[in-house]
Amino acid sequence: MTNNSRKSARVRPYLVTGGRTRSRRPLLLETLISVVEFDPALEKTLIPESWRIYELCRSRQSVAEISTRLKLPLGVVRVLVCDLSDQGRVRVHATSIDSEQDQRDLLERVLRGLQTIS
Amino acid sequence: MRRILIVGSGQSGLQLALSLQEQDYEVTVISARTPEEIRNARVTSTQVMFDTALQHERDHGLNLWEPETPQIKRKHLSATAPDGTRFVNWHGDFSAYAQSVDQRVKMATWLEMFQDRGGNVIIHPASVSDLDGLARLYDLTIVAAGRGELVDMFDRDPTRSRFTGPQRSVAIVYTHGLAPEDPDITIIGINLIGGHGELYIMPGLTHTGPCDILYVSAIPGGPLDRFGDSPGPREQLDRTVALFEEYAPWERDRFAGVRITDERSNLTGRVNPMVRKPVGRLPSGGAVLGMADVVVVNDPIAGQGANNASKCAASYLTSIVEHGDRPFDEEFMTATFERYWEYAQFSTRWSNTLLAPPEPHVLEVLAAGNTNPAVGDRITNGFNNPEDYTNFLFEEDKARAYLASLGQPAA
Amino acid sequence: MGYRPSPEGDGASAISAKIVIAGGFGVGKTTFVGSVSEVPTLSTEALMTEVSAPVDDLEETPDKTTTTVAMDFGRITLDSELVLYLFGTPGQPRFWFMWDDLVRGALGAVILVDTRRLSDCFPAVNYFENDCDVPFIIAVNQFDDAPVYPLEEVREALAVGPNVPIVNCDAREGVDARGVLTEAIKHALAVTG
Repeated sequence: MTNNSRKSARVRPYLVTGGRTRSRRPLLLETLISVVEFDPALEKTLIPESWRIYELCRSRQSVAEISTRLKLPLGVVRVLVCDLSDQGRVRVHATSIDSEQDQRDLLERVLRGLQTIS
Repeated sequence: MRRILIVGSGQSGLQLALSLQEQDYEVTVISARTPEEIRNARVTSTQVMFDTALQHERDHGLNLWEPETPQIKRKHLSATAPDGTRFVNWHGDFSAYAQSVDQRVKMATWLEMFQDRGGNVIIHPASVSDLDGLARLYDLTIVAAGRGELVDMFDRDPTRSRFTGPQRSVAIVYTHGLAPEDPDITIIGINLIGGHGELYIMPGLTHTGPCDILYVSAIPGGPLDRFGDSPGPREQLDRTVALFEEYAPWERDRFAGVRITDERSNLTGRVNPMVRKPVGRLPSGGAVLGMADVVVVNDPIAGQGANNASKCAASYLTSIVEHGDRPFDEEFMTATFERYWEYAQFSTRWSNTLLAPPEPHVLEVLAAGNTNPAVGDRITNGFNNPEDYTNFLFEEDKARAYLASLGQPAA
Repeated sequence: MGYRPSPEGDGASAISAKIVIAGGFGVGKTTFVGSVSEVPTLSTEALMTEVSAPVDDLEETPDKTTTTVAMDFGRITLDSELVLYLFGTPGQPRFWFMWDDLVRGALGAVILVDTRRLSDCFPAVNYFENDCDVPFIIAVNQFDDAPVYPLEEVREALAVGPNVPIVNCDAREGVDARGVLTEAIKHALAVTG
């Protein structure tokens, strides 16, 4: 059995609440986070860890990079990034699991990219 | 608003999260899996729940599958001696029905419900370092992930743990097409196979509708212990049916049309039964509270796991709400667990009684059900409330007195 | 450490993707990631409690220690709006629950193999064959002092089906590593309906 057919065999009709579009996708290790509009006044209101994340994300960072650069455990980063996102302070960028993302297009784009760089 | 962090998205963690959410607590759940992943994962349990546990779900509107789930109203208990003699064979009636909803179905939907109602869900495999960083951001942190590595933060309590290692090998497979024992009433079948283990047939509900869960509980190294190579679901079903045909031949005619429910319908493994201390200590000094099978792990032999999870969630909910605005310190954590343990000790004792080589007075009470239906009913309902076994089963003197009161000959 | 700042446009449409590099301890996962990453290899760590097995039944409280599980990763900016990350699996194969997090959303996976210690990669092969849906390929990391086997012999020894591509590489060479990643994406395209 190929990976592909296994995937399709796992879609079951019964009792699946599917069809609902969930507003929040999980934060993957590679999910990029960036500050929407930097507001220095937030230093006074955010907890120190959240402020450090907010400051770092003035340039786009993945969740894993935030964890490494700030030496914060991944779970802490995920919780605090979710909070910042709920407050509209940071943008959570798309990854391969976002429903609007066509998997085939993304794969072809990555393939072109890999073949172009040298 | 008090902030509570719950690590784990099983019966206990999500039941507590959803019921706290009703009471205006700000609850965050950390789940290692997304709802979709939970739905598509391997089965996790047999999860039969008796009336008290089901009622806790009803109390909070969490019984979403109750109408379509088979209502288990009767138990068929059979026991054979090591020489094959069948010396127990009776039916007992539950005073209120039991049900088993595949936790893949239930937990996936509960996690979505929690999120839809505004709950905060973080998908992450929590580590000790995560808890170390997170616990101080919350008023209370509860660890409800019994299968993860976080359980190792909680020390084993030797005074409350009877065994020091696994007592059974467990092999579970979900099936469709099993012929019912009785077309008019849903029966859970328990076959105690003397010296070798137990064979169960448990009606439930899965993704694809009503099902029967076949569960082999084997004394390690014995003839029922046939699944150490973790076979695929079809192979596991074939071996399971062969074991029923050999050791519980009265079930033989039921298997002609049996098939697995799905590719991830089987589970094998061993449970190390133990009781742990309820407060976990973090490297930086913080404390977290363990719940359900993080702190009280029973072998599934007596079907207590999901019941304990539900009862623990209900008990912790009461303790948390009653505590009001006072700090959730270590004293609170210990008291909260002790309140739950007042009940859970009987569930653990019942599980351990069935795991250990059977004592003569226990076998005599079981056999008394052959001629006295009231005995069968009482044993059957003890699965819902194991405390009752202290009155007529656990202790030899009480068992003898009970048998005498029935007019049974005391050996 | 000289981090190159991420290229910034308006940036709202930026997207990231991931390929997982799996395999046994010491097979060259970190070398592989380092040879193609545009930044020095990064690492994220998690503390795990580890309980040693009791020596005998009388021992009531087994020893507890704390273990650090590390995941190495690197980054390739493919265009101004697309960043590809490479994540190496932790060396300790028992932390499966971390693997689920690691592979979630991965476009593909590469299982690195050292022919001198073939069995080291069996847990990874089992994982990708049975427990996850991410398409994977096998890459034999050709160490200087290792005997060279025909790839079909490697396939047989690993017991993987003919649909799983197997390639050779030198994980130290960026060109090779990029070639392996290209194969992984081509394979993912082939199995994506």
